[in-house]
Amino acid sequence: MPRIVVCFKWVIDEAYIRTGASQELDLENVDYKLSDYDRNAIEEAVRLKEEYGGSLVGITVGVPEATKGIKDALSRGPEKAYFINDASFDNLEPSQTATILADVVSSQIEYDLIICGEGSSDLYAQQVGPRLAEKLGIPCISYVQKLGIENGEIIAERKMEEGVEVVAAPMPALVTVVPDINSPRVPGLKDTLMASKKPVISITKDQLSQTYEPCLQTAGILAASMERNCVKFGGELEGIAGFVESLLKEGVIS
Amino acid sequence: MDFKLTEEQELVRQNMREFTEKYVDPIAAEIDENSRYPAEVIEKLAEGGWLGMPFPQEYGGAGTDYLTYIIAVEEMSRSCASTGFTMSLHIGLVSGAIYNFGNEDQKKKFLVPMAKGQYMGAFAFTEPGAGTDVSAATSTAVLDGDEYVINGTKTFTSNGPVADIYVAFAWTDKSKGRKGMSAFIVPKGTPGLRVGEHFKKMGLRSSQTSEMIFKDCRVPKENLLGEEGQGLQIAMDSFDHGRIGIAAQAVGITQAALDESISYSKQRVQFGKPIARQQAIQWMIADMGTDLSAARFLTYHAAWLKDQGKPFSKEASMAKLFAAEMAAKHTSKAVQIHGGYGFCKGFKVERLMRDAKFTEIGEGTSEAQRMVIAGNLLR
Repeated sequence: MPRIVVCFKWVIDEAYIRTGASQELDLENVDYKLSDYDRNAIEEAVRLKEEYGGSLVGITVGVPEATKGIKDALSRGPEKAYFINDASFDNLEPSQTATILADVVSSQIEYDLIICGEGSSDLYAQQVGPRLAEKLGIPCISYVQKLGIENGEIIAERKMEEGVEVVAAPMPALVTVVPDINSPRVPGLKDTLMASKKPVISITKDQLSQTYEPCLQTAGILAASMERNCVKFGGELEGIAGFVESLLKEGVIS
Repeated sequence: MDFKLTEEQELVRQNMREFTEKYVDPIAAEIDENSRYPAEVIEKLAEGGWLGMPFPQEYGGAGTDYLTYIIAVEEMSRSCASTGFTMSLHIGLVSGAIYNFGNEDQKKKFLVPMAKGQYMGAFAFTEPGAGTDVSAATSTAVLDGDEYVINGTKTFTSNGPVADIYVAFAWTDKSKGRKGMSAFIVPKGTPGLRVGEHFKKMGLRSSQTSEMIFKDCRVPKENLLGEEGQGLQIAMDSFDHGRIGIAAQAVGITQAALDESISYSKQRVQFGKPIARQQAIQWMIADMGTDLSAARFLTYHAAWLKDQGKPFSKEASMAKLFAAEMAAKHTSKAVQIHGGYGFCKGFKVERLMRDAKFTEIGEGTSEAQRMVIAGNLLR
């Protein structure tokens, strides 16, 4: 029976982000949510547990105020959560997150399978899963759209650009899932109320075995802007020629 | 003072939003258009434990406070006011009456399946000639051996065609005036009880409303709710509870009107710029947001008083009165912002405006609320 670990991230809900006059992001009045693909990761973990038995714990790295995120994740199925928190953990880069997770997972958690979302809703760097697997020295299967366990092995369908690849890996292993894998169920009211009663193991920075310096520096974050212009062409020969020429110029056709 | 919701309350709102996005938003326009009762949504609500929110777990509920339940009704109503109303009616009015006035046996027999959403409730109170003027009611209940025999016609019974449990009101002794009415629990299928005319409503169309006809309808004596003669007190207390739910429904509708207005006015371009940059529109949106906040605070305050075990009748009426009138006013403004498009089917504001009107009428008209409030203030 697999012992499953699911990683999740509490992120800014992009619906609340406003753009300032000079394209800077206004994060003053934002709300937070569980990263979208992590909901798929948790749902898949719950589904596997329902099918194969075993255990399920959640793990996250974040700021100490992210307690609502822990409850949100717990309301979706994990039995308990590891909450690695520090005030300085608000802007970690993926390599730091992966190193911190690896530190705790390798020293405190017995596991057969780790499930991550393919990428987070905020940065979508797609780095934490593969880096965590690398640090733990276990196989990593990314872009997973279907997951099962057969004869003690992970069988995964990977959604590739052209077709589907089916792979197997011995456990322990790590998979990162895409949203096609399932449709996360909505937690019931009782699941939400019960979440507060589930155990949360809080791990602070000084309990980690090393400190992690960032190797990236964020110079700034600006909203992407899309320039639109409207050009009208007539239906006569001249207009059509102009239209084609314009498409060629913009690189739409060649 | 503390204006902060608990993490649980915030999560409940978030989960209800997730629920509505997944199950209700996609069908809200269709069930309105076809006047269809969304049995599949009610089933999902039951599965999720949403239909018995504020009742203790021993009675099949989830044991939340009233405010948490009110937040869920608000959030549901933001997506679909009909379904928000069905929740409020079933939980706040009908199940609440049995929870507050039922004996242990009645709670086990009726409240438990209602809180689990296996039975839906309806409140058979209003009569064709007796709306706000309760004294004009004509339904009677006569004790005959071990049974009460109920006769009369009830109208505008929400959930009438789909309910499993009716809390019905009739005079047991009209000469006793306000102490002459009694309340009864009448299960569906009781001989002598039948669903009369179905009403075609302008708004709240997926909530089912009908006449209920009681003709020599015999219910066992043990189905008397509370004491004989306590009916009016039960009705008034239940309406006090129900009104916080209708206020929450109105808040949800107004929130939806604001959401739609903001989103539309930022996209709609006239005179070379989005209409959101015209002061005329900005002022409408500013007023909408301000009144919405005031209505929400009144509503949450009434629920909070109830949770503190303090009297809340006046505050429930104030919340219901204000929230309903603001919903009616601002859904009309939302249609105005949408212009000709808002006047056509297909934009949500058109439904919101029709649904909002209900909140000024159902479970006590705005005039009835003013009577309650003035009665309290001038006491």
